[in-house]
Amino acid sequence: MGKENPAEKTLNLIRGRLCDPTFVFRPLSGSSDSNYSKLKFIVSTSITEGCNNSILLLGPRGSGKAAVLDLVVGDLMEEYPDSVTVIRLNGLLHSEDICAFKEIARQLCMEHHLLFSKMASFDENSQFIIAMLRECGLAHKTIIFVLDEFDMFAQGKQRLLYSLLDAMQSVTSQAVVVGISSRLDADQLLEKRVRSRFSHRKILFLPPSREEIDSLLEHLLSLPADSSFPSGYVSQFNEKIKNITSDSRFKDMLKTFLNANSTVNSLLKFIFRAVSSMNLESGLLSLENFKTALSSMQRQPKLEAVRADCSILELYLLVCMRRLEVKEQSSYNFISVMKEYKTIHDSFQTSDYYAQNVCLRAFEHLREREVICYAENRGQSQAGEYRPMKLLISASELHQGMRSHACCPAILLKLLDH
Amino acid sequence: MPTIAGPSSSPHEHIVAARSENTGGREVNTPRKRKLRSDSAAEVTSTAIVNESLKWKSPRRCIVSSPRTLTKEVEEDSKGELESPVISAVEKRFDCLDVKSKWNPRDDDQMRAVKEALHVSKAPSTVVCREDEQKRVLEFVKGCMEQKKAGSLYICGCPGTGKSLSMEKVRQQAEDWAKQEGLPCLETVSVNCTSLTKTTDIFSKILAENETGKKVNGSSSPLQQLQVLFSQKQQSSSTKMMLIIADEMDYLITRDRGVLHELFMLTTLPFSRCILIGVANAIDLADRFLPKLKSLNCKCKPLVVTFRAYSMEQILRILQERLVELPYVAFQSKALELCARKVSAASGDMRKALSVCRSALEILETEVKVSTDQESQSPITENQVVKIDHMVAALSKTFKSPVVDTIQSLPQHQQIIVCSAAKAFRGSKKDRSIAELNKLYTEICKSSMITPAGITEFTNMCTVLNDQGILKLSKARDDKLKRVSLRVDEADITFALKVYTIQPCTLVSK
Repeated sequence: MGKENPAEKTLNLIRGRLCDPTFVFRPLSGSSDSNYSKLKFIVSTSITEGCNNSILLLGPRGSGKAAVLDLVVGDLMEEYPDSVTVIRLNGLLHSEDICAFKEIARQLCMEHHLLFSKMASFDENSQFIIAMLRECGLAHKTIIFVLDEFDMFAQGKQRLLYSLLDAMQSVTSQAVVVGISSRLDADQLLEKRVRSRFSHRKILFLPPSREEIDSLLEHLLSLPADSSFPSGYVSQFNEKIKNITSDSRFKDMLKTFLNANSTVNSLLKFIFRAVSSMNLESGLLSLENFKTALSSMQRQPKLEAVRADCSILELYLLVCMRRLEVKEQSSYNFISVMKEYKTIHDSFQTSDYYAQNVCLRAFEHLREREVICYAENRGQSQAGEYRPMKLLISASELHQGMRSHACCPAILLKLLDH
Repeated sequence: MPTIAGPSSSPHEHIVAARSENTGGREVNTPRKRKLRSDSAAEVTSTAIVNESLKWKSPRRCIVSSPRTLTKEVEEDSKGELESPVISAVEKRFDCLDVKSKWNPRDDDQMRAVKEALHVSKAPSTVVCREDEQKRVLEFVKGCMEQKKAGSLYICGCPGTGKSLSMEKVRQQAEDWAKQEGLPCLETVSVNCTSLTKTTDIFSKILAENETGKKVNGSSSPLQQLQVLFSQKQQSSSTKMMLIIADEMDYLITRDRGVLHELFMLTTLPFSRCILIGVANAIDLADRFLPKLKSLNCKCKPLVVTFRAYSMEQILRILQERLVELPYVAFQSKALELCARKVSAASGDMRKALSVCRSALEILETEVKVSTDQESQSPITENQVVKIDHMVAALSKTFKSPVVDTIQSLPQHQQIIVCSAAKAFRGSKKDRSIAELNKLYTEICKSSMITPAGITEFTNMCTVLNDQGILKLSKARDDKLKRVSLRVDEADITFALKVYTIQPCTLVSK
């Protein structure tokens, strides 16, 4: 491969950064008030002081719970090598007690280079786990149990949770139980015995604030002053980024985006799309990249169907259906739509008047695109023209679609608003 | 077992030396004023202090320790230290509170000692506030042992009321008493019923304890063997009484209630010699699930001992008892009172009280760390103990649900969806379809001059809210047919959003 042009290198660098959760959440480790530090404090006190703890990480999906936990675990494994063992369970896979115990035994065996037998029964597995907890407690090795999708473990008899949390209560074991869940009321799902044994520590992962987003953008998009890039390029690139982020249009765009989705993950996806549409010749990002990213993330497929695909006749038919709806006709079929069509033609003397079979074909086309559909699935015996239909597109979307249509006659818009 | 050397030390070595103490060697101590303590008052008659950093003791030294065993060794150790040739009297009784030295929260060892004293896993040396119940159970067990008769007992109470702890103490005391009186020693089988794969395994466990010489008969089930065993007269030499403690007994409840019933029936057999103590949470377990026992004569009905939830005074006393062994005052008494009051009002669960206290300790610790970072070597002018504001913060963290915070931090459109849901479910209707909710949502958006999101985006946001437990989406084949209902209280929503001016107007109107 020949020498990469700097634009491609930048693209690769930034895309690599966006896909690496460690890089994204690293700046959090600086501040002392962040979730990273709180989590690290709790887990490290367990390691150094040997006291047991249980924590719950709560937050919407994509807010970085598992990523921050991985960061904390990675850092602790560097700080205290050989003192930390991590056992990972997932509620989607291991919610059954027998399966979960087997998995814990298997992971413990792997960590400590013991032989795992698949034939071991539930009793043997649980005794093994208790014995291992005791041994690790004596050896001052902390076991961190990571329970992903914690609310799935809270179904059924909750035996696994009870045994793990009960083990936390004894002096012989040295372990931390970290539960990750997107349900806010995950601890209300626990049985009262299990809830009593759970130390009610919760860390809430809230969406980032404006300042955090600004600093995150800067952290992700600025190029390092590296000798592998041509000299003026880096400063030019960073300058452009600063200009874009301080532009008020960009701020508005970001605000619209964040009003719908404010998790870190969706922000990363947004930036990824923007960066991917970077102009490779100039090698610089621009505001248009972000605009295209925004529109590609906030797609409205039915609107696009209307805007791009519909012929004028089809638009007429849609407008007729809408008018029938407005007139409080609860159900209408092809025949009534044709009647309305005729009425319009008669009153406004439009030039587009087509025969019934052409309209039927237009109807079929609309139905294929799922802009309209049959109102009920029964009544298959009736002929297609008499079956009640309904619109699958809302009035505002129809309106928008027609307005952005290439050659929509003005009369139709008037008829719609009427 | 190879142990990894670590900077831990026994909680019962009370350390008061100055911060640069961990340089090895035995420090023969003089009552040393801390450099950082600017006051002079009488407090610093240092209590026992040997800082033997060479001879550190791991907190894990008790191999068989659990919250259910008496920490006898621990007591002996501390007694040993009392006689160490260090000067100054060790005042460990709480009538000499004023002699306690000030606590330095920056000292890791002291902080760790306090945390350990408050940890759930550390069983206190004396169990306070449960003397009556323990006495009752012990009397019952003693009676059974003296008369060599079987009996059954049922212990019930909310979680965190000290049932398992008391049972361990009773077991220990009964064994000691048996030795004292010269009776044949007591065998105990302690089973936590959650660890049984099958409910009938409990019989095999009892049988295993029982079998001394007899071969295990494979043909009949363990239950049948036990029944046979207890129906025949034993050789009189081996009349050892057996104490069976079944923890979390409600796991034995099956649909036909057979196992539980049979277990209690074992005590009614003529030559049975087992004393059964069942522990569970439900008060009426015995009445609900053992109706047949009631119909027999009253002797077979298990005695019921209820462990009530702790009251405020009891919680306070237990906390103080745990902290009294430390030579310094770490908590302001008002803070402890607040904690006890709040926890007893909520559930009376001791574990929660201990958890809240530890949480308050951690808040203090972070506060101290932050101030240490800011000013390197400042003299501690005031007494840094856990005060009421720390306790209030810890209580709110434990008892507050994260719903309000989350609703406040939701993105705008999702907040509008939550509002429209609150409005939609204000009346009697319990669930609506997505399309109806969408209509309400667009109305609110229009009235607040915000562009509503399309239906796909709307459905996605509803799914996100469903994931978080705020809305509830029913499962349906078609997206449009899903029914939506609200999982959160409307009052919470109004409270959370009252800082924003737009949404409450729409909520209040109509």
